[in-house]
Amino acid sequence: MLVSDSTIMLVTWRYKYRNSIMDSIDPRARWIFSFAFLISCTMFWDARFLIFFFTIAVVWYTFGRTKWKETRHGWLLVSVMLFSMIVINTLITGGGAGGVVPPGGHEVWTQGFTIPWVNWHVHFGLTAERLWFAICQLLRLGGISAIFVLIPYTMDSRSYGATFHGLGMPDRFAYTMELSFRFIPTLAQDFAATLDAQKARGYEIEKVKGGLFRKILRIAPLIVPITMNSIVASEDVANAMDLRCFGQYKRTWLFKLKFHWWDILLIIFSALMLMGSAVAAYGFKMGNFWVPEYFINLLVG
Amino acid sequence: MSEKEEYQMPEKKKSLFKFGTREVVYSAIGAALYAVLTYATNFMQLPGSGNVAMRPAVVIPMFFGIAFGPIVGFITGFVGNILSDLLSGWGFWFWWDLGNGIMGLIPGLISVAIIDYKAIKSLLLGELFVILGAAGGMGIAAISEMWVSGADMTAVIYANFLPAFLTNIANGLILLPILMVAYAAVAQRSGRQ
Repeated sequence: MLVSDSTIMLVTWRYKYRNSIMDSIDPRARWIFSFAFLISCTMFWDARFLIFFFTIAVVWYTFGRTKWKETRHGWLLVSVMLFSMIVINTLITGGGAGGVVPPGGHEVWTQGFTIPWVNWHVHFGLTAERLWFAICQLLRLGGISAIFVLIPYTMDSRSYGATFHGLGMPDRFAYTMELSFRFIPTLAQDFAATLDAQKARGYEIEKVKGGLFRKILRIAPLIVPITMNSIVASEDVANAMDLRCFGQYKRTWLFKLKFHWWDILLIIFSALMLMGSAVAAYGFKMGNFWVPEYFINLLVG
Repeated sequence: MSEKEEYQMPEKKKSLFKFGTREVVYSAIGAALYAVLTYATNFMQLPGSGNVAMRPAVVIPMFFGIAFGPIVGFITGFVGNILSDLLSGWGFWFWWDLGNGIMGLIPGLISVAIIDYKAIKSLLLGELFVILGAAGGMGIAAISEMWVSGADMTAVIYANFLPAFLTNIANGLILLPILMVAYAAVAQRSGRQ
């Protein structure tokens, strides 16, 4: 965590070894599965298919053995996103459903309803179709979120360079990722030192008055020295790398990755899931938005 | 050459899509810088406007794009956003990472045209491409939300695109000229072109 009013700024990765099933899965297989899931899941709006994907996501999430206390920060962001997309866009304004739900439908609460205490009469034209779509959105976005929120907590930060190299990314790009991970603690320390130095000169970031532009402008004394110092320092790093013939030969990686039989199975499952979804969605035209009759009867009567 | 004569560095021809050792290091530094500044300013609870998140660090991919080329700008935004999300524990949101990358790539397209970083023409060109970059990057990220969440265009524009686009261009337009002028001094001192 970052302590802005201290001389020490600690930046820590969220990953820790948990002796979980996820820890034993090769990161390359995990990325392949995650993207296959994302693409497959987004082919459907039919709740029957989405329940299948949501169940897979929940099982996958439990493989991580993360605690609520650890992941709640990530879920807070997801909750804000889901609230904005589902409650505001789909249920209240209806905009979020415009791309999938056909116009019209069976209106729920045709007479509207009154909020007690304030006595406000509300009539926002909510339909059973939009309500069902909100459930589908929850299943789809909740499933995707469960897969991707898990990554910072369960994937070793040392593995990223080797993983992306293993997935076919050129050496230079994969090494850039690796190098950027290594620069994080150094730059975090520079940031803390710069903040302290500026505070010693009377800089008060927390007590800024004025409009939006003035507030942005006040960040400059922090951003400019850190950026310029980093650029100047990067010359030495680049020279050191050139002297060691960086990029002249095939690169080796400190972090070794090895596929196990279960990784191969996971990749095969991912490929089958992706192909099956594509055939169902585009070949058989299955998985379009569908509302069960009983749901409409339950709400409209 | 007399002592009073100012030494002029020979002008090196910039290559738009070069990705050598220096570009690897600039990209890595840029990405780490973007992540640290984003993370730091999140925690400092900057006095912003309402619920709109203030993210002054968005100027980093834009500036790195202009200074070192479109590939460096793209990696700075793309990897930097991944890193800041990893630090914050916010997960992995590919389409927003891609959007941040494009926000650095588009300003990078004018990197070869900028020689003097403090010239008015260069600053104006930089500002123009900040707007284009933010529009392109946030546009792609917001449109991806249509694919993922099924929202229609109007909802995506008002809920996703505009809040991100407006705050990003405000940060970019104000901070980019300051960084460009500061970099002009650094470049002149170290003999960079």
